[in-house]
Amino acid sequence: MNGMVIQLLGSAVAVAAMVALAAWARIPRATPPLDEAAVRALLDIDYPGEIVEDIWIAADGAGAIARSGDRALVLSRLGDSWVTRDLSWSAALAAPIQGGRVRLRLKDPSAPRLALAVSGVNPWPPQGDLELAA
Amino acid sequence: MTLDPIKPAFDPVTWAIPVFVVTIVGEIILGRLGKVKANYEARDTATSLLMGLGSTIAGALLAGTIALVSIWIWQNHRLFEIPMTAWWAWLAIFFLEDFTYYGFHRLAHERRFWWASHVNHHSSQHYNLATALRQTWTGGVAGTWLLWLPLALIGFSPAMIAIQKGISLVYQYWIHTEAIRKMPRWFEAVFNTPSHHRVHHARNARYLDANYAGILIIWDRMFGTFIPETDEEPPRYGLVKNLGDFNILRVAFHEWIGIGKDLLSARSPREVVGYLFGPPGWSPDGSRETSATLKAKWREREAMKAQAEPAPPMAAE
Repeated sequence: MNGMVIQLLGSAVAVAAMVALAAWARIPRATPPLDEAAVRALLDIDYPGEIVEDIWIAADGAGAIARSGDRALVLSRLGDSWVTRDLSWSAALAAPIQGGRVRLRLKDPSAPRLALAVSGVNPWPPQGDLELAA
Repeated sequence: MTLDPIKPAFDPVTWAIPVFVVTIVGEIILGRLGKVKANYEARDTATSLLMGLGSTIAGALLAGTIALVSIWIWQNHRLFEIPMTAWWAWLAIFFLEDFTYYGFHRLAHERRFWWASHVNHHSSQHYNLATALRQTWTGGVAGTWLLWLPLALIGFSPAMIAIQKGISLVYQYWIHTEAIRKMPRWFEAVFNTPSHHRVHHARNARYLDANYAGILIIWDRMFGTFIPETDEEPPRYGLVKNLGDFNILRVAFHEWIGIGKDLLSARSPREVVGYLFGPPGWSPDGSRETSATLKAKWREREAMKAQAEPAPPMAAE
């Protein structure tokens, strides 16, 4: 029993050391702030051929919401990777803002919440842009 | 020479743990120095390694039961006497265990109940040596170990089966890397390699449900599930629908929760069976995507692209 505990503790220390090394190495993939072309390219991977009418980009450039008919296609950065989901456009418009982020709730247990940064100059729902705000 | 047929003389995975640590450190450092292709993101790495640690604990909880069943079958119902000291016995179990692994792995991808226990291994959007350790917590509960019992029934001792399973697991570790592009052609033809396994971890529609091999890629070639990696479309790793965070509980259990939610909404026995044992993504009305529908749409897009492209100019006469 003692041997197992020691092995477990040793493994935990090794895990911590390897994670620290990975953080120190700084070799993630590059994820520069999004622009419209990048959003379209990333969405085209998961929603190929989908017509994207208009795009709202999060204040920190780490996410976006695109309108495709009556659906909202959501793109959110996770570490150095991207996660996409879709929900109804009306549900996206009604999503609450808390702590400077628009909180999108989804019925998917693999991604129940996605949160994108908003700001005064980049509010959600978008103001003045008829395509997005309607 | 006698070998204990019940207790394995050694555990290949335990022996390999120092190698795992050294090679992950090596891959990170070489990646940092720009010597090899390797991307690591700290939280993704932490998730992979903690899943590995949790997997050893989850495995230990059920190991006794699994071993007892295997020993009981071997002691009471084995069909042949297979000596542990015969070379041919090890050669036979090498092929039979690897074929069993192919069957298990294919089942684990093509039927949702078993996919629920295997999906965590594919949930990283990275492909590095740490990803190899992102192992299941629920494989024992899903009962995939039952598939190895026929080996005990044939007459291979529980110790032989355990050792060969360990060898297979250790073999499959080193192929989780982008640092090695291609192995020599003869090796790529026979063995599972980083290139073949990158395809297996890819979420591109063209690569879905392919290359289920453990050690030998020959099974995929024989059963039509082999797809080669192509330079024109590099693999993108992860799930068709990637996870929304790095929470290890979500990594381990999200598909089980999804199954539970679907079963609560099921309106007929057909729907119950479909949600449990249909392909991942199965839905009664076909509104969700499965690998088959994603591949069909991809083929359609490729055909349209080919039609739209102008024909190559005729050679000058």
